Amino acid sequence: MQYKDYYAILGLARGASDEQIKRAYRKLARKYHPDVSKEAGAEEKFKEVAEAYQTLKDPDKRAAYDQLGSHRSGEEFRPPPDWQQHWQGSAGDAPFSAEQMDLSDLFAHLGAGMRGGARMAMPGQDFELSVPITVEEAYGGTEIDLDLNIPEYDEHGRLRRVPHAFKARIPKGATDGQRLRIPAKGGRGINGGRNGDLYLDISLRAHPLYRATGHDLYLDLPLAPWEAVLGTAVEVPTPAGRVRLKIPAGTQAGQHLRLPRRGLPRPKGGQGDLYAIVQIVVPGAAGESERALYEQLAAASAFDPRAHLAQEAGHAG
Amino acid sequence: MRVELTEVIWLEEQALTFAELADLSGLPHSVLEELVQAGAITPIHPDADHDIDGPDAGDRNVSGADREARFSAAALAAARHARQLCEDFELDAPALLLVLGLCDRVSELTARLRELQAKLPRRVR
Repeated sequence: MQYKDYYAILGLARGASDEQIKRAYRKLARKYHPDVSKEAGAEEKFKEVAEAYQTLKDPDKRAAYDQLGSHRSGEEFRPPPDWQQHWQGSAGDAPFSAEQMDLSDLFAHLGAGMRGGARMAMPGQDFELSVPITVEEAYGGTEIDLDLNIPEYDEHGRLRRVPHAFKARIPKGATDGQRLRIPAKGGRGINGGRNGDLYLDISLRAHPLYRATGHDLYLDLPLAPWEAVLGTAVEVPTPAGRVRLKIPAGTQAGQHLRLPRRGLPRPKGGQGDLYAIVQIVVPGAAGESERALYEQLAAASAFDPRAHLAQEAGHAG
Repeated sequence: MRVELTEVIWLEEQALTFAELADLSGLPHSVLEELVQAGAITPIHPDADHDIDGPDAGDRNVSGADREARFSAAALAAARHARQLCEDFELDAPALLLVLGLCDRVSELTARLRELQAKLPRRVR
């Protein structure tokens, strides 16, 4: 298995005191904890730091870790032959195959073997996965492939990582921030403990057209100035297909036109709304004849879009 | 390898008992009880079971009521989050309550920000 230098991860020398270990962990946890930092990679970094701390804060586990010797980080190594016997306790019924394991597995299960040796029922490990889905997948439901490597004891009582692959059906109606639970698909329970669960955190991928909040969708709807003034009917995309939308005469920029039940379906039935946000867009370069028409319009119109600004100025003076 | 199709459970559709909530979240009963009493984790319809109990209902101790209460998905998410925070920062109950409160505030603000961003028209062209 690959060696990880837990001391280096915490920025400490091998002889660090318990107090130094605690202080280093707290400092790094404050920096990288997923509730504190949203920086890319922070969560991974925190997991590393937490793993190092879980091992080094426990005097027994730390002693066991120190006995593995000092290697370079990432270097392949095997624990010394007598290590397992010594540290896994007298029971000796939970040997491991070093190739298929992670260093963290070794220490996670070490405590259980060492304390008293009583066969306590322990629940299997829960796993949490983030599952990004598209707006279309949220609309219609989808199936996702899950591949997990879960530490488990085999029939000889050896601990190893077992690949688990299965599909999960994400029902329609899932949206950003929702969570799904797949019971008993996490790590296997030990000594009759229940199996761990799998939690899926759903997030929505950014969509080129729609912005989602809850089950409602927002779509920008650009209109030409004359379309906004005169009213028109336009085709707008929705997740269920294109629909015709009537634009009333005198539509203002920034207005939200609501298309009821054209958003994302809700898990218990019903559907969110789709809002088209009006934007009034002017042509980049008006041709000769267009310019002439605008000039004519400017001369004919008494419309003052800044009347309220003039009034404010009047009050001030 | 055999690939099976698994049905998922909407967390929203499950109602959990106090014991199930403690078991699934890994929080000790005593800590969970403190969180419930402080209102950081709230049962579904907290008084639904007790309205019909008449005048005696008031005599029952709080922990008894907690054990009869049912909890939603949001409660499980909150309890799991609390367990994680307890482990990661070695927090006691008062500190945990404070952190959970602040985290709730952050998620409310993040949701509000997301909503406002969704409503904000993008620049065309």
